[in-house]
Amino acid sequence: MDFEWSDDQRAFADQLRAFLAANLPENWEELAGHGPASAEITELSKRFCAALAREGLLFPHWPVEYGGQGLGPWEQQILAEEMWVAGEPRGGQYMNVNWIGPTLLKYGSEEQRAKYLPPITEGRALWCQGFSEPDAGSDLASLRTRATRDGDVYRVNGQKIWTSYAGLADTCFLLTRTSDDRKRGITILLVPMDTPGITVRQIPSLIGEGDIHEVFFDDVVVPVEARLGEEGQAWEIIAYSLRNERLGIPRFRLARAALDRAVAMLKERRAFAREAVRTEAARCAAACEAARIASYAIVQKRVDGLPIGGESSSARYATVMAERTVADFVVEYVPEALADASPYLKMHHQRGIVAGIAAGAAEIQLNIIASEVLELPREPR
Amino acid sequence: MDLSLSDDQRQILEAIDGLSKPFASVPLHDTSFALSSDALDAELGEGGFLDVMAMEELGPVTAALVVERLARLPFAVEAGASALVRPLLDPELPRPVCLVEEGPMQQPVRFLRPGTTVVVVSDDVRSFTAEAEHVAGLGSEVLFAYPMARLIGLPPTMRTHEVDAGTVRMHWRIALAAEAAGLLAAALASTVTYVSERKQFGRPLATFQALRHRLAEAQVLTNGCYWLALKAAGTLDPGDAALAALHAQDAAKRVTYDFHQFLGGMGMTLEHPLHLWTYRLKALTAELGGRGEQALAAAEAHWS
Ligand SMILES: Cc1cc2nc3c(=O)[nH]c(=O)nc-3n(C[C@H](O)[C@H](O)[C@H](O)COP(=O)(O)OP(=O)(O)OC[C@H]3O[C@@H](n4cnc5c(N)ncnc54)[C@H](O)[C@@H]3O)c2cc1C
Repeated sequence: MDFEWSDDQRAFADQLRAFLAANLPENWEELAGHGPASAEITELSKRFCAALAREGLLFPHWPVEYGGQGLGPWEQQILAEEMWVAGEPRGGQYMNVNWIGPTLLKYGSEEQRAKYLPPITEGRALWCQGFSEPDAGSDLASLRTRATRDGDVYRVNGQKIWTSYAGLADTCFLLTRTSDDRKRGITILLVPMDTPGITVRQIPSLIGEGDIHEVFFDDVVVPVEARLGEEGQAWEIIAYSLRNERLGIPRFRLARAALDRAVAMLKERRAFAREAVRTEAARCAAACEAARIASYAIVQKRVDGLPIGGESSSARYATVMAERTVADFVVEYVPEALADASPYLKMHHQRGIVAGIAAGAAEIQLNIIASEVLELPREPR
Repeated sequence: MDLSLSDDQRQILEAIDGLSKPFASVPLHDTSFALSSDALDAELGEGGFLDVMAMEELGPVTAALVVERLARLPFAVEAGASALVRPLLDPELPRPVCLVEEGPMQQPVRFLRPGTTVVVVSDDVRSFTAEAEHVAGLGSEVLFAYPMARLIGLPPTMRTHEVDAGTVRMHWRIALAAEAAGLLAAALASTVTYVSERKQFGRPLATFQALRHRLAEAQVLTNGCYWLALKAAGTLDPGDAALAALHAQDAAKRVTYDFHQFLGGMGMTLEHPLHLWTYRLKALTAELGGRGEQALAAAEAHWS
């Protein structure tokens, strides 16, 4: 075992940091407080991602035949961490390069790839993910937004909710229901957001403006060619799409960085000598480090080509705990950070609350651990 | 970064599983409060399993793996101090090895009995072989699942070791963390088995979400302790070692009552082996000054 980065990995992280330093504006940390889906960050992300693309750093983990460099799982992890700890200046475009692009590469028609890949690889596309609905959150397979076949088109009716980036996105990766078969009745449509009949309403949120939305579909006409894969293939496709996303965002990195900033602020006002404060800070560091290595154990499985089961949920839950422990520490001992004293800590605090909800809530992770890792007999349905 | 086991490490763990098979289950209705076995102890010593740290291709991570694996057995074996601290002092020191911090006497010490090597850690590191006069029994009502005794005196002269006391404490923390990780894993597995089999209200207890979630949280903590212990063994960084020991002692406090709770009345019996692991975990929380000391050591290492 080796718990240190190799020289090459360190050099890659340095390259990313140098790039970030050179390409982010002076007031970036304040800007980042607007939230990843705000107009400010979306605007900046287009310049930033275009520059990343020119440097070969936007999608270096894609296969070489599609313009990537075939970077391995560790380097992908480093890329994700360096971006997130910097406040994720890619905005919503992280989704493009992490899973939407790779999904189009595998399942997209030639036409779809020609249309959607160049904007992604040039760093100027913004997608939104139309999965959740008012009555289909954790129980995603119960979604009801209907796509009814009508000759060469589908007519889409229904509602999505919590859709990040919807206000500014150009395209929606939309899950629709085409038959009553719970999982095999779901179909993916790639829908331009300016299609008539789509209404977007922003939901005021705790994580900055412009982040979450309701999206209404009122007899939205979508050509059959906009379907990704076959009718009813959505569940299989998103399992593929999200298979490398099972660890979620490397939030433990930002949590640890936030902790270090909080400690620096405490030291500055000579408040870090108190044993109670030091004890809590250490507990936070342990939570961050536990989440980090538990996550790395999953990355190792990818490196070794081993199947990844419920243990990724264990790493995710550890990450949620790390987020919360650090956020609580900051509120308790450095409350001024949540006013104006530290835009960075403010950003961490805003984003941290999402950890236990989005992309598979914490209790769902516990359910998965119970069934797949501990192999407890299943709950009755 | 490489978090997979080497072939050597895999083979060593398999060998341990093989030789400890006769000791993997508890003689039914014969569970004393503490359970240990001289035969198992001797086999491990002879097999060289506790000497892996000094071997270049194996090293401290392998030693931590050995300690973690052995801690899962219902039989207590002195492995942590022997495998992770003894090589720093003198690989020939007779086992078992007991670690104590200089300070208040009378504290219960794990594995202490006449003939054991006692390592006294203060600003320096000294050792001696315990004689009857240094050791007092703890009576019959001992609420720890390790063989333990009190150290009631030190000899006038001890052997001084040319080793940094901070380094010894760091290795001690790693040993503690690795042992706790194994104990947590075994206690969790034992509880999981019980609640999966035991039925109430017409279904296994394990199908009730209140229990599932708390057990899943225990899994998360256990997994974290395992990796933090191995990482500390890999980096030999004092900050990592302190975090590993802190997380382990924290986790021990968080889960032990849950595990007994989930066994209902059976969790109160000596017929079920659960207490062998949980009461060892409790004993470990008292070591090295308890959680607060690990936290302060970690803070010192990370932010001084
Ligand atoms: C900031 C943010 C951004 C998001 N962005 C998007 C997006 O871009 N696109 C998109 O499609 N969705 C998005 N989501 C939605 C997200 O995926 C859902 O919020 C999530 O799946 C949970 O669904 P829900 O909100 O309906 O909660 P519910 O499913 O109603 O859950 C509420 C609570 O009940 C618990 N619970 C639910 N089922 C169980 C169970 N079986 N056992 C035990 N406990 C249970 C949950 O864990 C949770 O604590 C976003 C959410 C957030 C917070």
